Amino acid sequence: MSQEINSTNQNPAGDLLVVENLTTTFQTARGALPAVGGVSFRLGANEILGVVGESGSGKTVLSRTIMGLQPRTNVEVGGSVLLDGHQIVGATDEDLRDIWGTKVAMIFQDPMTSLNPVTKIGKQIGESLQVRLGMNKAEAKARVIELLTLVGIPSPEERYDAYPTQLSGGMRQRVMIAIALACNPTLLLADEPTTGLDVTIQAQILNLLDELQLKMKMSVILVTHDLGVVATRTDRIIVMYAGRIVEMGTTKEVFRNHKMPYTRALLESTPRVSNPSHTRLQTIPGRPPNLLKLTEGCAFAPRCSRATEKCSQERPTLEPTGVDGHYFACWNPLEDQAAPVSIQTGTIKEIGEDNVRG
Amino acid sequence: MSEANNKVVLSVKDLEVTFRKGRQRVSAVAGISFDLYEGETLGLVGESGCGKSTTGRALMQIVPSTGGQIFVDGDELTSLNKDEARNLRRKMQMIFQDPISSLNPRRRVKDIVAEPLDCWKLAKGAERDSIVSDLLNKVGIDPAVYGNRYARQFSGGQCQRISIARSLAMRPRLLICDEVVSALDVSIQAQILNLLEDLKKEYGLTMLFIAHDLAVVKNISDRVAVMYLGKLCEIGPSDTLYAKPAHPYTEFLLGAALEADPELEQSSATLGGEPPSPLNPPSGCRFRTRCPFATEKCAAEEPQLRDIGEGHQVACHFPLVGAHQ
Repeated sequence: MSQEINSTNQNPAGDLLVVENLTTTFQTARGALPAVGGVSFRLGANEILGVVGESGSGKTVLSRTIMGLQPRTNVEVGGSVLLDGHQIVGATDEDLRDIWGTKVAMIFQDPMTSLNPVTKIGKQIGESLQVRLGMNKAEAKARVIELLTLVGIPSPEERYDAYPTQLSGGMRQRVMIAIALACNPTLLLADEPTTGLDVTIQAQILNLLDELQLKMKMSVILVTHDLGVVATRTDRIIVMYAGRIVEMGTTKEVFRNHKMPYTRALLESTPRVSNPSHTRLQTIPGRPPNLLKLTEGCAFAPRCSRATEKCSQERPTLEPTGVDGHYFACWNPLEDQAAPVSIQTGTIKEIGEDNVRG
Repeated sequence: MSEANNKVVLSVKDLEVTFRKGRQRVSAVAGISFDLYEGETLGLVGESGCGKSTTGRALMQIVPSTGGQIFVDGDELTSLNKDEARNLRRKMQMIFQDPISSLNPRRRVKDIVAEPLDCWKLAKGAERDSIVSDLLNKVGIDPAVYGNRYARQFSGGQCQRISIARSLAMRPRLLICDEVVSALDVSIQAQILNLLEDLKKEYGLTMLFIAHDLAVVKNISDRVAVMYLGKLCEIGPSDTLYAKPAHPYTEFLLGAALEADPELEQSSATLGGEPPSPLNPPSGCRFRTRCPFATEKCAAEEPQLRDIGEGHQVACHFPLVGAHQ
């Protein structure tokens, strides 16, 4: 996972994934909910892209839409997701089945609810080998044992017959990874793959993903809320807020020279091990907006200390900074990283009326 | 430690909690001792299953302790009868991880916050209302606008504020916070951490802050205790413990914590394996099966917590610092 593999925007032909103006709108009893509101980005081969945002920012819905996984009813998907020449938006179930496993695979956050508790793990991993690759039982079993070894599960022959409940959380996540990698996908979507795990186990799983990404020459989209994970494990990142990309660029550039006040606020509200104890944290006042009541302007404007009148009237578009495919969406971008923005500190005394649910 | 003094609010001696699992026994907390001084925040960290939450619950006697003693302002909690214990527990309050399920969704916010006052018949009428309004103001919720709303109408962060207000209604000496920010987004998490710091000063609280997030724990704590498989590995002032961990487990734990900085050289040394089952813990030092420095002595003899200077204690035969002592 070298930092040299940057955006391949200059070479669209080499892009594995091209997402254009993607929208995912859920029809709810209270109206249309634009979970993903027009997202465009490209992903190169062998690239690791981080998608960060708080809950409700649309990062999980985005990854599921890229995979072609969404409910059949009450959802509208617009725009285009082109994966290695295959259009995912509007694809039929048969088309998708051709792509799942071999082109794109996904690891979910909670391995326990994603695995079948009453089926042996060997059978769960081998299923796609038999169905998709047409292997017979013996071939599939041999490959499953290879995969179990690959993902670092000790005594794989014995574990082949284990049920998910007999494994720890970390081991279950390794099984999930084995299932995802069984058919050598070119794109791996990992949605919060380490969120429920302890830090030492998280480190093991992230190292494993790194190693496998190199070995299997995959592109990876790593969806997470954890800034520590994206900082250390990705080449490029996308910062999402209220269903849209607000900043995008190489990981180093975004951490060092972010232009969007939300990105800075997110970074500054994260407690750090390297800071002395009792370091006052910067806070973002208020809460993320209600997606049912999005206005025309920038969704972050009500919480932003740099907001002007224009921000609440007109939505900023993603503009390039001119550096390394770094884009941001803000009318009043941060000029110089030396000048700290005055994000409100302390207890928030006012919580706006529309911040309360219901 | 500026506000802390030498008055001990909570003293835990050889606390044990054993659960029965069929015919087997799981010792979730296997004899831990520590003191909590007035005005300080002690962070308790460890991975899942290490017994940190069980410790918090045992201190409140939500789960019965099976051994050891708990002194609150000098009064021993475990030997008291039910009524006496209940009385003593007024000094202690606990806030839990899941703020939404900690509140009754069908009750009004002001009644939730007033419940402790009602239970103990401490205030009624206008006095009750004014205490409740004051508490809600303190946690950043406008009582005039939100006091009559139901708990279900609030987000996680706001529910956690309401839980905090409720816990302060009894004016407790000691506040036990069990993973109170782990369900919250970072921007909300920062709000709650700052709020707890402010309230601690204002109300002169002593806090036990239980969490798995090392950065969060360092941020809020004056001292930090590290647990592994039911035992304390190490306890010391936050800045010292994070800068110079003495127990190999602490060092691995800190090494696995990722800093949100892509340009920082970060350790990629990982701890192999997983914690052993508490049903059958290793002999001697419980960490020895994963410890790269383990010797025969570690299997034969259990290391006891010992002082290595500056209020820093470690339970290891071969500590990484202060080995000369």
